[in-house]
Formats: sequence, structure tokens, C-alpha cells
Amino acid sequence: MNSKQTAAFTEEHDIAVPYMQRLRDYYLALGYGNPYRWAQYADVPFKSLGITLDQARVGLITTAAPFKEGAGDQGAGAAYNAKAKFYKVYSQSTSDLDFLGISHLGYDRKYSSAEDINSFFPLKALEAAAQQGRIKAVAARFYGTPTNRSQVTTIEQDCVDILALLAEDEVDLAILTAN
Amino acid sequence: MPTVILGSAKDIVEHCGVPRFVFTDFPLGNSAGKPHDLESQAATLELAFSLLEKAPAARTTVQSPQRWSASSDWKLDFQNVDRIPETEIKKRRAEFDKIKAIGQKVRDQTLSNHPEN
Repeated sequence: MNSKQTAAFTEEHDIAVPYMQRLRDYYLALGYGNPYRWAQYADVPFKSLGITLDQARVGLITTAAPFKEGAGDQGAGAAYNAKAKFYKVYSQSTSDLDFLGISHLGYDRKYSSAEDINSFFPLKALEAAAQQGRIKAVAARFYGTPTNRSQVTTIEQDCVDILALLAEDEVDLAILTAN
Repeated sequence: MPTVILGSAKDIVEHCGVPRFVFTDFPLGNSAGKPHDLESQAATLELAFSLLEKAPAARTTVQSPQRWSASSDWKLDFQNVDRIPETEIKKRRAEFDKIKAIGQKVRDQTLSNHPEN
């Protein structure tokens, strides 16, 4: 391959960031043994839509957190804040959103400010889609799920709780934003 | 329930295995689109809709064509031990121990307020 051909390539490090390797190496360097084992399934469920999107009521599931009194700085630019963590599924009205933050999450603080909620919680874009008729409606509530690293709790408690809320609100499909 | 995930950690999500995944190659924290950019956010959501309508099977990923910036140098930094000095590593160990303790306390308080758990 000549230099003219490779000149058209992107940078060699321009690949999907290898987070699993980075985190494994990072925590080993910090002195923690027993590297985390991420969830890994052989079989993955798949449910077809069954209806057209313009017939669908859409639910939003997020890992972002509502404001917690007494937990300190939780807004844009906040340092990692474990006090803002939550451990139970919650739901709030989609028509009365006050605050959502990601200070309890390990996002990329060097390059992300978290100052625009719409970059990590697409309720506004979803509402626009409903107004345009792309979807039928946004669910009456959105749903928050903890990220407490207990895989058993996530699967056996949190997912069950979320599904119950989705059923209560007659949600047809769900969009999850991971942060 | 049909679902789609918006995320920016491709390896983690695909390792798990999910029905549908819109991978946005941005720094973590922007999986729904660029901040203060309605077009970026609308386009990201439209990819999710498209997957819901057209994905043929589980583990379907579509990568958003959006670029975070002209340079991809931002990808070199996140928790990259090759770029963190030893003194900083020690400091972070101490900080993380404190964070873990706080998180455990919050968890214990949450569970004690919900005796059904």
C-alpha cells in the first residue's frame, strides 16, 4: 500500500474506544484485583415491532438521576458524585421534567460537560417526533434505572420493576439511553 | 417489549448482546447526540426509529455517521493508564476507595428504607 493510498485513511487510533480494556487496565493499575466481568449472553431476545411506529407509545429509560437533596453538586461539570447515586428504579412525569443529572456516572468528563440534558436524555427529540407524527405518543412517564454494578439486582429486580412500569403506562416500545 | 439502546461504548454493549443498538462514536455522556445541536439529536433518534422498524434480528448495530470532531485524539484519553502518571494513579486509588464507601452507604440507606428488599 503506498503513501498516497494510506493518506486517505483516518487516524490509526480512530476506532471505537476499547472501554473494556481501558477499565480493566485502569483498575488493575489502581491495585484492584478480580477484574469486572461484564454481562455476556449467548442468546439475545428480539421482539419485532408488530405495529407501525406511528401507532406506538414510546417509553424512555435512562440511567440519569433526579436531583437529590443534600447530595452536593449534581449538575453540569460536577465531579464524580457517589452521593447522587440511586439504587431503586424511579419514574417521573414526562410533562414536568425539572432536572436530570449524570454526576453519579463515569462519563468522559474531559470532553463532555453534561450541560445539555438533550445530549444524554432525548425527551425533547422524542416529543418533536410525536408532534411530527413519527410516533404516536410519548409515554406519560420516563423511567430511571440504577447502575449499581450488581448484575443480579439489575436483572432480577430493576428490569422487573421497569417492565411493570412500562406495562402500567401501556408502552409499546422502549428506548434506553446508556451514559 | 421491542427495545433499542442508544450508547457510546460499542464493545461493552455488543459484548453483552442486545436486540438493537445505535452506536454513537462520541465521548461518553452524549449518546443521544451532540450538546446544543438539535439536528444531531434528531438524527440520532431517527437511527433508533429506523432500527426499530428494520432490524432483522438481535444484535443489530447501526453506527451513527456523525463525528464528534475533526480529530479523533479525544479517543486516546479516557482512563488510559499509559497517559496517567504514577503519582496520579495513587491519588485516584485513594479517591476511589472513598467513592466506594459513599456509594455503599447510599445503597445501605436505600435498602434500609425499603424493608421489602
